[in-house]
Amino acid sequence: MEEFVTPLVDSVLNYLGDAINSLQEFLSPYLPEASLAAYVAFAVYTLIILAGAFGAVLSRNLVRAMMGLVLTFLGVAGMYLLLASPFLAFMQLLIYVGAVCVLIFFAIMLTRNTSEGEEARLPGFSALGYGLLSLVAPLAVFLPLLISRGRDLKTKVPEDPGTGVLGEGLLREYVLPFELISIILLVAMAGAVFLAYRGYKPLKGGSE
Amino acid sequence: MDLSLLFFVKILVAVLAIIALMVANAVVMVYVERKAAGFIQRRPGPYEVGPWGTLQAIVDAMKLLGKQIFVPANVDYVLFFLAPVLAFFPVLLLFLPIPFGPYLTSWETPDGIILILAFAGFGVLSNLLAGWASNNKYGVLGAARAVSQSIAYEIPLILALLAVVYQAGTLDLSVIVEKQGSWPWGWNIVCQPLAFFIYLVCLVAETNRAPFDLPEAESELTAGFHTEYSGMGFALFFLSEYANMLLVSFVCAVFFLGGYKGPILDGFWWTFIKAYLIMFFIVWIRWTFPRVRFDQLLNINWKWLLPLGLLNLWITAIVIKVVG
Repeated sequence: MEEFVTPLVDSVLNYLGDAINSLQEFLSPYLPEASLAAYVAFAVYTLIILAGAFGAVLSRNLVRAMMGLVLTFLGVAGMYLLLASPFLAFMQLLIYVGAVCVLIFFAIMLTRNTSEGEEARLPGFSALGYGLLSLVAPLAVFLPLLISRGRDLKTKVPEDPGTGVLGEGLLREYVLPFELISIILLVAMAGAVFLAYRGYKPLKGGSE
Repeated sequence: MDLSLLFFVKILVAVLAIIALMVANAVVMVYVERKAAGFIQRRPGPYEVGPWGTLQAIVDAMKLLGKQIFVPANVDYVLFFLAPVLAFFPVLLLFLPIPFGPYLTSWETPDGIILILAFAGFGVLSNLLAGWASNNKYGVLGAARAVSQSIAYEIPLILALLAVVYQAGTLDLSVIVEKQGSWPWGWNIVCQPLAFFIYLVCLVAETNRAPFDLPEAESELTAGFHTEYSGMGFALFFLSEYANMLLVSFVCAVFFLGGYKGPILDGFWWTFIKAYLIMFFIVWIRWTFPRVRFDQLLNINWKWLLPLGLLNLWITAIVIKVVG
């Protein structure tokens, strides 16, 4: 029995070792040189992002979906930390978790959000189609890039230049796009006020 | 980022020390607050348990630990228990970049104040979750008030801090302390009095304290967003509220009052003295001013603090450009 099993186990182990080696050989030109801790952190953050995204898409409750979104933002912030840009990571949390998600929450609370409501129904065929499209579109853009440029991507993680350099860049070299973004935000804000404004009606009792 | 073992050990020790500080702070501040309230309202305050009632807070904490955790019907369990946890744990991170003393900073990061502002957002989120998940109309109303208040007051708060950041040219809290002088006239409060005033108003509003405690106004909303929490759930909210008060006081001491610098013998004691003076100030105005109405609260912010903050920032920028 033993003389029959041992070579079988050996061959399976050999095969697995070969498979891992060949996979490593295949991937090594694409993988940047980094410590094991960085790879583990990358895996953890990826899992967090994916778990949050699936939570956001699959939950039948708007608030739970939003918490999934928060989890995804946390994971993305972790990715920024991994890329040695803590400023961007903290800004991600400050803007997306501290402002955007809280505002989404506020909007949810202003609507009638019942467990039998519209958002609790299973998505229809067209919604699934759009979902598939949103999965394919980024892949269609990034996959050819990754394949054609994959070998050039093997770069070291850049040093954090600090907020001073970021500020100089935003207000010198890229001042026009920076200001254009602020104009877009201003237009959105003015549009929201215009849509919601129904004229000023003072209260009868007179307040304040 | 330094991933060495030493860094992790340092952060771990710092987090444990911060937890101890949070608990000690809550116990001491509850006693101080009740005694101060008694003095202001001409009544004795706690005096039965222990000498001068000093053990009252500890006995209260024991009672809180022994309480049954009551969960109302039709509650979203995950979110209901996530909310107090989310209120408590980000606060631990908030204390990391604070320079308590010249050599007593848990994590010297060049983006210290951004880290504090970023993780402070989780406090609002936890209030919202608590109010929404408790399946209680008072909870939802309290949460709705909490969000409009926190979002509004966050803006002038950041504007006030930005004026100091402009002046120091850095987001690093240690450097901001370094650039201030040892004597009170060298502190930022002298050249940024308007920013200090705006920050002081906003810190009371951001920590949901009277006269701006609309999210938990007990005369209208029972207890606001934490109406349905009992036992340890309530204890976590309570701890994080006092920890948040302590945090904004420390940030105030670092930004405006010279941090660990004092006329004699620089050290962490100066940071603590200044922070606890501000804590006492917060307690003092809670028992002095009546609660404002909600429209008044929003008007103070949008019509006064925000324009003043922008004006202050503008003047600061011009002065910096002209002078140096």
